[in-house]
Amino acid sequence: MAESDSSEDEVAAHNTVGNVPFEWYKDEEHIGYDIAGKKIKKKVREDKLDSFLASADNSENWRKIYDEYNDEIVELTKEETRMIRRVLKGMAPHPEFDPYPTAVDWVTIDKAEHPFPDAPEPKRRFVPSKWESKMIVRLVRGIRKGLIKVDDKPKEENRVYLLWGDDRNLTERHHIPPPKPKLPGHEESYNPSLEYIPTAEEVKKYELMYEEDRPKFIPKRFTSMRSVPAYDKAVRESFDRCLDLYLCPRTQKKRINIDPESLKPKLPSRKDLKPYPTTCYLEYKGHKGPVVSISTDSTGQWIASGSNDGTVRVWEVESGRCFRVWELGEAVQHVAWNPSPELPVLAVSVGQDVFLLNTGLGNDEENRRVDDLLHVESHMAHNEPGASEAIISETIVKWSRDDNHGAIRLNHYKTVSSVEWHRKGDYFSTLMPYGESKAVLVHQLSKGLTQRIPFKLHGLPVSTAFHPTRSIFFISTKKNVRIYDLLKQRLIKKLETGVREVSSIAIHPGGDNVIVGSKDGKLCWFDMDLSSQPYRVLNCHPKDITRVAFHRSYPLFASSSDDCTAYVFHGMVYSDLNQNPLIVPLEILRGHASVNGRGVLDCKFHPRQPWLFTAGADSVIKLYCH
Amino acid sequence: MDIDGDAEEASRRIRVRFVTKLKPPYKAPPTSIAIPTNLTRFGLSALVNNLLKAGNADWKTEAFDFFIDGELVRMSLEEFLLAKGISAEKILEIEYIKAVAPRKKEDPSLHDDWVSAVDGSNPRFILTGCYDGFGRIWKTAGVCTHLLEGHTGAITSVCILDPLGSDGRRVVATASKDMTLRLFEVNTEEFQGQLKKIQSFKTLRGHNASVQCIAAEPSGAKICSGSWDCRINVWQANDSDSGGDFMSVKKRKVDIEDEEPKSEGEPISTLVGHTQCVSSVVWPEHETLYSASWDHSIRRWDVETGKDSMNMYCGKVINCLDVGGESSSLIAAGGSDPILRIWDPRKPGTLAPTFQFSSHTSWISGCKWHDNSWYHLVSASYDGKVMLWDLRTAWPLAVIDSHEDKVLCADWWKSNCVISGGADSKLCISSEISVM
Repeated sequence: MAESDSSEDEVAAHNTVGNVPFEWYKDEEHIGYDIAGKKIKKKVREDKLDSFLASADNSENWRKIYDEYNDEIVELTKEETRMIRRVLKGMAPHPEFDPYPTAVDWVTIDKAEHPFPDAPEPKRRFVPSKWESKMIVRLVRGIRKGLIKVDDKPKEENRVYLLWGDDRNLTERHHIPPPKPKLPGHEESYNPSLEYIPTAEEVKKYELMYEEDRPKFIPKRFTSMRSVPAYDKAVRESFDRCLDLYLCPRTQKKRINIDPESLKPKLPSRKDLKPYPTTCYLEYKGHKGPVVSISTDSTGQWIASGSNDGTVRVWEVESGRCFRVWELGEAVQHVAWNPSPELPVLAVSVGQDVFLLNTGLGNDEENRRVDDLLHVESHMAHNEPGASEAIISETIVKWSRDDNHGAIRLNHYKTVSSVEWHRKGDYFSTLMPYGESKAVLVHQLSKGLTQRIPFKLHGLPVSTAFHPTRSIFFISTKKNVRIYDLLKQRLIKKLETGVREVSSIAIHPGGDNVIVGSKDGKLCWFDMDLSSQPYRVLNCHPKDITRVAFHRSYPLFASSSDDCTAYVFHGMVYSDLNQNPLIVPLEILRGHASVNGRGVLDCKFHPRQPWLFTAGADSVIKLYCH
Repeated sequence: MDIDGDAEEASRRIRVRFVTKLKPPYKAPPTSIAIPTNLTRFGLSALVNNLLKAGNADWKTEAFDFFIDGELVRMSLEEFLLAKGISAEKILEIEYIKAVAPRKKEDPSLHDDWVSAVDGSNPRFILTGCYDGFGRIWKTAGVCTHLLEGHTGAITSVCILDPLGSDGRRVVATASKDMTLRLFEVNTEEFQGQLKKIQSFKTLRGHNASVQCIAAEPSGAKICSGSWDCRINVWQANDSDSGGDFMSVKKRKVDIEDEEPKSEGEPISTLVGHTQCVSSVVWPEHETLYSASWDHSIRRWDVETGKDSMNMYCGKVINCLDVGGESSSLIAAGGSDPILRIWDPRKPGTLAPTFQFSSHTSWISGCKWHDNSWYHLVSASYDGKVMLWDLRTAWPLAVIDSHEDKVLCADWWKSNCVISGGADSKLCISSEISVM
């Protein structure tokens, strides 16, 4: 029964041609060769008739099958036919094979009560390993001692490089080419022409020279190459070369080449910012003491000046002629021309008084109106009852008529340092630095009233100004500038100057920018929309700034100082809020002489031309034109 | 031989011929002579004087000025030829004229105050305006014949109406800082040796600020004035219906000194356009007048329509203006800088001045073209100098520094004198200037 399925191994193969188609041997008599090299003859095939007859004769003939491969007739046994039949039926070939044996349950799926190997769990399974702990202690010690390095990064492998290759890239050293030596010329020939040979005097002169200046080579003539001697400086030069090699510094000095011009901020050229005042053409002479204050009228035809000699003068701008003089007796502190063109009134502060002078420069009608205005005052002021608490009593300020000058005289109880007009020309403010709570007063010309500013002053007031368009008032103390809204009566902003002592302030005609001059020579530009700190601080004057001024229409501002100069700047304010003001220094105006340590005491721009007036301690007013 | 000799000295000598348009006593022989090239104007002048002396024994030395190719020689001949690129090998024609320079200074005519305006358009007299508010008429240097009274402010500008009229009676106009203009009638022939005071026969009111300048129409029928109120007013100068009437009124007024003259005038038209003080007006032709202003512009106005037909910006304040020169169309102006500028408005598309003279050192207060010459003009400056200019050279022909203070005004007189007034209260006359 254990017979193999494959019978091929046991049956001796008769085929010797191999696995080739038998058509190849169709016409041959033999088929293959035997082991002796002889042709194996084909068996004669019985034809169809014979085979039919044989099958008719022999009932067992169907058992015979022609094996084409081995060229023989095989007779199938009974087992073999039975096996074929079973295969044809799709059954296992051997009848003994049982396709459906009964399953034997060798391993039960039910859990056994006792484990199969019934040994207890060893102790090592739950006790830490002694050898592992020893190993860990060793590693930890090694890490602590630094013998073992814990590094997450994978170790870098050594770079493979070309040993004999070009090593310039590896050492990153820059090559400095040596200077090219001069090529030898005719004079270095062994036999140069005569014009190259120095004369005896020249050689003597060379010897008198310093060694460094002396020419390195003095041409000489030799009759032939043979007579040229050995180079006499050869040893010396190689020695020097050796010195150079071992004494030269091996580190490369890195020099940064920065053009100092490129570090300057980019500013537009001064030429593009014309016109601005540059040259002094006119001088207004006549004062006998330092000119303390100047003011121009609204048209720019006249300029008024006040001096320590006690006079106020009005000058004609175009000719320099002194048009009118008022003798006020005491040193003038401040003059201010009424900004209204219909009201040619000049406010002058002298000692404790403020005078409102009629200049008489308007036409007849205007002059009459001014006269009336200045006359009625004296009576009105007396009869005014203290209706409002803000109105100041007569002990502080007394309005009276001054007939000598045809003027109103406001007698204050303390020294008045400055007078400022409101833009409409009806209100004006006076400043008494030591007047404490009543230091800043606002007067109304048409009604003859005086009011106190309803704000508490923090410190000694130095300078005041009206806003050029809105009802806003600026008061500067020595450290800070406070900005008040007069209508709402409250503080709007406080500008921190950060300077030692403020001397004067000026408001940009747009009203959003303020410049502050200080006694330590600093000029601060504040952009009030930006911050309460200065937008820019210009530290240009070595001495006190006496006055700062803005031009009414041109983008110019100026500062005058005790160092006898006045600076003119371009100060452009843009309507675009994103763009910061542009400040360019333009010109230093000199010309005033220093008297008693004081220089230029006041500066004012001409209202319509890009011209600057400066008043000096040398009692001269100068006009700088573009 | 001769040619060789010339060639050897060619580097230093040049052949020239002197020509002139002057009359015979000044005519040099028209032969060509070789002269050294390092000669300057003075050398050339001496040479021509020598030539003339050779022909005329009793010749008096005269200063000459020299032209080569229409340009005045102001350096050595050699430098001039090099600079102009003129060949020195041909015979050079040098034209000479009598040097334009004052030969005589008259005594200064003293005023009581600064002399602010001067007019010399009438050869018989000089009219001056003064800061004391009086106009004055001077027959010659130092001889004041008439005093024009009436202004309450300083006089800023004066002009003579129809200055070249035949009779002795002239109307003069003055402008003042008291915002008025006044007209006076003067008879220059009735001078009896003593100062005559004249009241104005007409007052012109209408300006709102100081009147800065005044100019009369060539025929004298109208006058115009510029003022600090930015306006130019045109006024009728003399009412046509009242000729003798006014004389009688005026004669009566002479006795009653205090009374104001009755006649007042209103402006017949106002030219508006300037934005700042009108500092100078000129009225060269019947229909057009020119004005200059502190707003940096020079405008030409059509008087009939009242429109400005030209508007020229120069970037500086202008104080003085005059129109003249070649076919009376060049504009000369000076202002708040030391440069005297001359424009040619006929040149299209450019606003650059054609000439710029910059020898002054301060503001220019006055400039005036010569009546007959196309080339000559006089300028006055606050540096105290009066300069004579020729368009053909960039250097001043002559510098008159007889003033000790600012010069406020200058004019030509009798076409051979320069008159100037200044802040030293003097009227200076520099005479015998041989223009043409």
